[in-house]
Amino acid sequence: MATYSLANERLRALEDIEREIGAILQNAGTVILELSKEKTNERLLDRQAAAFTASVQHVEAELSGQIRYLTQVATGQPHEGSSYSSRKDCQMALKRVDYARLKLSDVARTCEQMLE
Amino acid sequence: MAQQRALPQSKETLLQSYNKRLKDDVKSVMDNFTEIIKSAKIEDETQVSRATQGEQDNYEMHVRAANIVRAGESLMKLVSDLKQFLILNDFPSVNEAIDQRNQQLRALQEECDRKLIALRDEVSIDLYELEEEYYSSSSSLCEANGRPLCEAYWRLDLDTDSADGLSAPVLASPEPSAGPLQAAAPAHSHASGPGPTEHA
Repeated sequence: MATYSLANERLRALEDIEREIGAILQNAGTVILELSKEKTNERLLDRQAAAFTASVQHVEAELSGQIRYLTQVATGQPHEGSSYSSRKDCQMALKRVDYARLKLSDVARTCEQMLE
Repeated sequence: MAQQRALPQSKETLLQSYNKRLKDDVKSVMDNFTEIIKSAKIEDETQVSRATQGEQDNYEMHVRAANIVRAGESLMKLVSDLKQFLILNDFPSVNEAIDQRNQQLRALQEECDRKLIALRDEVSIDLYELEEEYYSSSSSLCEANGRPLCEAYWRLDLDTDSADGLSAPVLASPEPSAGPLQAAAPAHSHASGPGPTEHA
C-alpha cells in the first residue's frame, strides 16, 4: 500500500537490491560467455565487467547502510503498539451501519405489506 | 546525531553476523569472478599437458561459478533476513504505520457515524409523518372503515379540514372561557366558602 511510505521505502530499496544481485550474476555470466567465444567483443566485455563491479560495490554499500541504520534504530525490545482499539471502533461503526440497514429494510418491508 | 544504543547481546550479535555475511559473500563473488577471468588466460607453458590443464581449468571454472552462485544466493538470504529484521525492529516505521492505520480507521468510523446521523435526521422526519398518520387513522377512520394506510394518507387533506373545524373551538376555548371558567370557579367557591373579589 502506498500509505506505509517510510517502511515501504526501505523495503522497496531492499527489493531493488535483490534485483541488482540477480543482475550481478547475469553480468558475470555474460562476461564469462563472451570470454568463451573465439572472437570476443571487447567493448561489450568491458561494459559488462564495469557494470558487474559497479553493481557489486553498490549492493555492498546499500546493505551496509541498511545494517548501520538497523544498528542505530533497533532496541531489542518487542514493539507493543497496535491499532486494535481503532479497528474495534471502526468495526462497531460498521455494525451500527449494518443494523440501521437491517431496520430500514424491515420498515420498507412493513410498508410494502401495508400497501398490499 | 544518533548514538549507538546498548543493544542486547543477541541483537548486536545478529547485526554483526549480518555484516560478516555481507563482507564474506561480496568477497567470494569478486574473488571467484577474478579467478575465473585469470584462468581464462591461455598460457603457452604448462606443467602438465594441455588437455590436462584444460580439464583442470574447466573443473576450476565450474567450481568458481558455483561459488559465485552460492554467494549470490547467500546475499539474497541476507536481504530476506534484513527485511524481516526491518519489519520487526524498525520502530519509527512501525509507529508511522500504526498511526496511519489508526487515522484511516478513525476517518472511516467518523464517516460512518456522520452518515448515520444524516440518515437518522432524514428518517425521523418521515417516521414522524408515518406515526402521525398511523395513530390518527387507527383512532378514527381506518379501524372503523377498514381503509388501508395509504388511502388514509391520501385523504389526509380532507381529514385535516374536518379536524381543523373540530379543534378550533377547543383551541379557542381557553381564551374566551377565562370569563366562564372564572365565573364557574367563583360559583364553586361560593358554595364552599368566601368567594373571590371579582365576583362582587
